[in-house]
Amino acid sequence: MLGWWLPENISTYAQGVDKLFVLIYWITVVVFVLVIGALIVFLIKYRHREGHRAEYIEGSTKLEIIWTTATTVIVFGLAMLSFPQWNNLKSIPENPDYVVQVRGVQFNWYMIYPGPDNEFDTDDDLELENELHVPMNKDIQIVLTSADVIHSFFIPNLRLKQDALPNRFLYNIKFNAIKTGRYEIPCAELCGFGHSGMIGYLNVHTQQEYDEWVKEQWPE
Amino acid sequence: MIAQSKLEMTDSQPFSNAKLGVVILLGAETMLFVGLIGAFLVLRMGNVTWPPLSHADIQLPRLVTGINTGLLLISGFTMFQAIRAIQSDRLKQLRVFLIFTGVLGLLFLVIQGSEWIQLVGKGLTLQSGVYGAIFYVLIGCHAIHVLGAVIWLTIVIGMALVGRFSSVSYTGVETCTIYWIYVVALWPILYFMVYFA
Amino acid sequence: MQENENISHEHDDDEHHEHAHDDNDTAQHTHKHDDDEHHEHAHHHEESFISKYIFSLDHKTIGKQFLIYGLLMFFVGGGLALLFRWQLAYPERPVPIIGASQQYLDDGEVVTGADRMWERIWDDDKEGWLETYMPNGVIDDSFYNMLFTMHATIMVFFVVVPILVGAFGNFLIPLMIGTRDMAFPVLNMLSFWLAVLAAIVMGAGFFVEGGHAAAGWTGYAPLSADPQWTGVGWGQNLWAISLLIQGFSSLVGSINYITTIINMRAPGMTFFRLPLVIWSLFIVAVLLLLAFPVLSSALALLIFDRLAGTTFFSATPEGGGDPLLWQHLFWFFGHPEVYILILPGMGIASELIAVNSRKPIFGYRSMVYAMIAIAFLGWVVWGHHMFQSGMRPGMGAFFMTTTMLIAVPSAIKTFNWLGTMFRGSIRFTTPMLHGIAFVSMFVIGGLSGIYMANTPVDIYIHDTYYIVAHIHYVVFGGSLFAIFGGIIFWFPKMYGRYMNDTLSKIHFWLTFIAFNCTFFPMHILGVGGHMRRIADPTKYEFLQDFQGMNIFITMSAFTLGVSQLILVYNYFWSMYRGKVAEKNPWNVTTLEWEAPTPVPHGNFEEIPTVYRGPYEYSVPGEEHDFIPQAQPEHAAASAGD
Ligand code: HEA
Ligand code: HEA
Ligand code: CUA
Ligand SMILES: [Cu+2]
Repeated sequence: MLGWWLPENISTYAQGVDKLFVLIYWITVVVFVLVIGALIVFLIKYRHREGHRAEYIEGSTKLEIIWTTATTVIVFGLAMLSFPQWNNLKSIPENPDYVVQVRGVQFNWYMIYPGPDNEFDTDDDLELENELHVPMNKDIQIVLTSADVIHSFFIPNLRLKQDALPNRFLYNIKFNAIKTGRYEIPCAELCGFGHSGMIGYLNVHTQQEYDEWVKEQWPE
Repeated sequence: MIAQSKLEMTDSQPFSNAKLGVVILLGAETMLFVGLIGAFLVLRMGNVTWPPLSHADIQLPRLVTGINTGLLLISGFTMFQAIRAIQSDRLKQLRVFLIFTGVLGLLFLVIQGSEWIQLVGKGLTLQSGVYGAIFYVLIGCHAIHVLGAVIWLTIVIGMALVGRFSSVSYTGVETCTIYWIYVVALWPILYFMVYFA
Repeated sequence: MQENENISHEHDDDEHHEHAHDDNDTAQHTHKHDDDEHHEHAHHHEESFISKYIFSLDHKTIGKQFLIYGLLMFFVGGGLALLFRWQLAYPERPVPIIGASQQYLDDGEVVTGADRMWERIWDDDKEGWLETYMPNGVIDDSFYNMLFTMHATIMVFFVVVPILVGAFGNFLIPLMIGTRDMAFPVLNMLSFWLAVLAAIVMGAGFFVEGGHAAAGWTGYAPLSADPQWTGVGWGQNLWAISLLIQGFSSLVGSINYITTIINMRAPGMTFFRLPLVIWSLFIVAVLLLLAFPVLSSALALLIFDRLAGTTFFSATPEGGGDPLLWQHLFWFFGHPEVYILILPGMGIASELIAVNSRKPIFGYRSMVYAMIAIAFLGWVVWGHHMFQSGMRPGMGAFFMTTTMLIAVPSAIKTFNWLGTMFRGSIRFTTPMLHGIAFVSMFVIGGLSGIYMANTPVDIYIHDTYYIVAHIHYVVFGGSLFAIFGGIIFWFPKMYGRYMNDTLSKIHFWLTFIAFNCTFFPMHILGVGGHMRRIADPTKYEFLQDFQGMNIFITMSAFTLGVSQLILVYNYFWSMYRGKVAEKNPWNVTTLEWEAPTPVPHGNFEEIPTVYRGPYEYSVPGEEHDFIPQAQPEHAAASAGD
């Protein structure tokens, strides 16, 4: 049903996030059904009836051991599955195709392109307000920072979220979008009275469109 | 029978309420300092050089403070003597040791105060960056505790002078001793951490 | 509120005044652990009205004071929630009544009766603060931030903790361990009045220049550390100062609780004969004792940053501060704090379930060990709030593992509650209904915790309504249902009367349904990516579909709110009109029910001696289906510990 589940995932990196989500979803559903099921059965079966007395049971070490180990196994297994995901999602990309610097400022995202010389802080840098342009099927690295308070760079469709820290540069944000379009980049960390409505836009282009866009920005 | 043995178990109280209360209080005090020390370490790690370049010229008074540390440790010892004295009803000694302890405590504060004045003169202030800030907050927090201990001690001294204590009832001295020893024991840790970091 | 105080105790006093007298003469001889506090204390029943009901030293009175204080603040905190819920459903639409009156002030025509009221309130000063915070009756964004910040701050620090720890702790500990009062009655009173002071300071924040704290209850720096980022001046300072005062209050309280439980248990009351609710309160007292000072240290640094010009949290290159320092300190306190919110709830639920299933707690000892394990693990999981904060990813793996491990002791508790009902003889009293609600709702809240504990998944759901759903399932579905159940369960002991059962049942069902309608859809919002702490969801294209759900949530929230009025009405009505209760109305084994009802000053005619564990229900070969802990040994009763 529309909007009642995860929004479309257009990231090559973060497919695993959805897989884990679904896995946990089923684990928790099963656990929930078992627990609540048992609860309801007990409530009906063992409700108070005249002349019927409760059974004096102080506990059962066997059962305790069973559910302790069962839970331990499940959660450890889950953790094991998640480690690799986590590491590859938060690792610094080796050789990205494009690098863009993103600076959060109350209450805007500034996207800074290095320009033809691929060097930041040179005079051919291009700074755009709230508009991020990238080609599809390419590894993009984001260098994230903030000028004032903590913001959070959130792209729902890429399952990407990372806080931007004032005067710190984070290099471990990367994505590879597999679908063209215009996606919102809300700020996800409370950053003041303008937090609500601090929105940037991710424009994913085909390679050709992107190259044309580049030409427009840096003529000659 | 079972119940009987249980009976003894619960009735015997190793500590009086007051003593236990103070010991528990120390738990909280410890966590307060854990918080501040944690902050100190985080900031220490966050800066490559310590003191940061902005404070390269600042040199914390290790020697004087070292001597000061000595004074405080001695006061711990004298405090301990005080409690020994009252345990064997030597009231006179109790008073002497208590007063001696209090004086040492005050001396510690005075020396530290003078050191601070000099540091501020050298330009190490709260506003001059985290190095100064965490120094004054952490050391200052301990200083306030020493001050509190001294005030508490003066009350105890007053009670000792009017002869409130005896070898059978000296909880007042005991609780104050526990607190004092704690404040004393805490200091060397802070000293080595902050002055030699 | 003090008004209520005074009235509330008048009657139960009249009923037992002379009672109290002769009782206290015996007090001296029979009390096993007499100490100084106690002697002076034992004479307190002689006293004037004021010092008996306002500056009372009696743990029962102080407990009731905390309870009424907490309920009052519950309405404040809830009212704030309803205010901002309106904004979330109908952004930019004037709030009813308050908003309407606003329009009246603008274009002077009377709209409703409420407006005449507001006219009287605001006419004299047209610059009342409503104009600043709600131009044209519409909540503006910075006011929205203040609203949810204070909502959470009040609910956590001024509602749940005061009621669970302050009210139940004070009322139950001396009664259930079988002693006449707390170890330090004076400190006990101090603890309450410090809490009141904290509440006043916190309230004052709304009326200072620049408005109240607006950085969330988590007060993340640098946002909270420098007025230039929020425009909030003294509001944030008062927030910090108030929490410092609250810190002292709970410090004093926890010292009192720990000392009392260690030193003043009745003869025979060994640690493993303590009821689980006392165990939980004991563990929570330790947590409070150790956790709050950490927050205090952080708040101190924050105040220095704001007032003394230090730069601990603002990472300016010159200053050399650290923007993550605050988060580490806050969550190192914060996670133990959230277990402070649930553990007493678990304790209360255990009592309710055991009593109403007429069965011993399934695996009493493992229940105790599980709570201790939860308390311990609570100290090493704080990083799970900071997965996306820029903390070293390596630490993420560690914190994920420790966090998920907490599912294990929680599992033990959950399954033991089920085991307690297994083959029981379950009575569906209203307290039991709340107990059942606690278990089921806590399981939902706990399971949603697993999603968030999972680092990759948390990347997506962090700072979305999924978190908000989790919060409320554990804290309202957990703690508050336990609180409601506990109030109804111990009310007969507190006031000597039953609460009206019909009203209680209506309140339960309305609350249970409205609660789920309010907070369950928030999971769906969260999975859809709906961020928390945003004043106007309609600004985002990808959230358009959710507006209908937001409206539904708001309507449920108002229903939930109104349902709470039933509880409060029932509470005060039953205090005077309720059916008079006998000594042990629910047939419970634990000591508080040995004391006469209403409980006189000094609690027991004679300090009881404890012969067995707290859950001797349906012991085979016994005629009654419960054996009080204080009933002397005989044939079939060597079991129990
Ligand atoms: C009463 C308060 C309370 C309680 C008890 C809990 C319990 C838990 N919490 Fe929660 N938490 C909060 C209050 C609480 N929390 C609050 C207020 C926040 C938000 C703070 C803010 O940002 O404003 C928060 C936020 C929060 C986060 C941060 C999310 C984010 O910001 O991105 C995380 C992440 O790991 C988390 C995890 C957990 C876990 C794993 C538990 C576990 O203890 C749950 C364990 C219980 C169960 C698992 C269910 C019972 C067990 C079984 C039925 C056995 C079978 C189970 C399995 C096999 C899995 N919580
Ligand atoms: C600790 C306990 C607790 C409790 C009991 C509640 C209770 C409620 N909370 Fe709370 N909430 C938190 C703790 C709690 N909350 C925390 C920690 C946060 C995070 C804050 C942050 O992000 O910093 C939060 C955040 C939070 C949000 C997210 C805000 C945002 O991120 O933008 C929402 C949104 O719906 C919400 C709603 C509610 C509602 C509807 C209730 C209802 O249960 C309230 C029921 C209503 C009443 C009890 C009021 C009854 C009074 C009347 C009917 C009289 C009417 C009076 C007037 C209208 C003035 N809460
Ligand atoms: Cu930027 Cu929120
Ligand atoms: Cu947590």
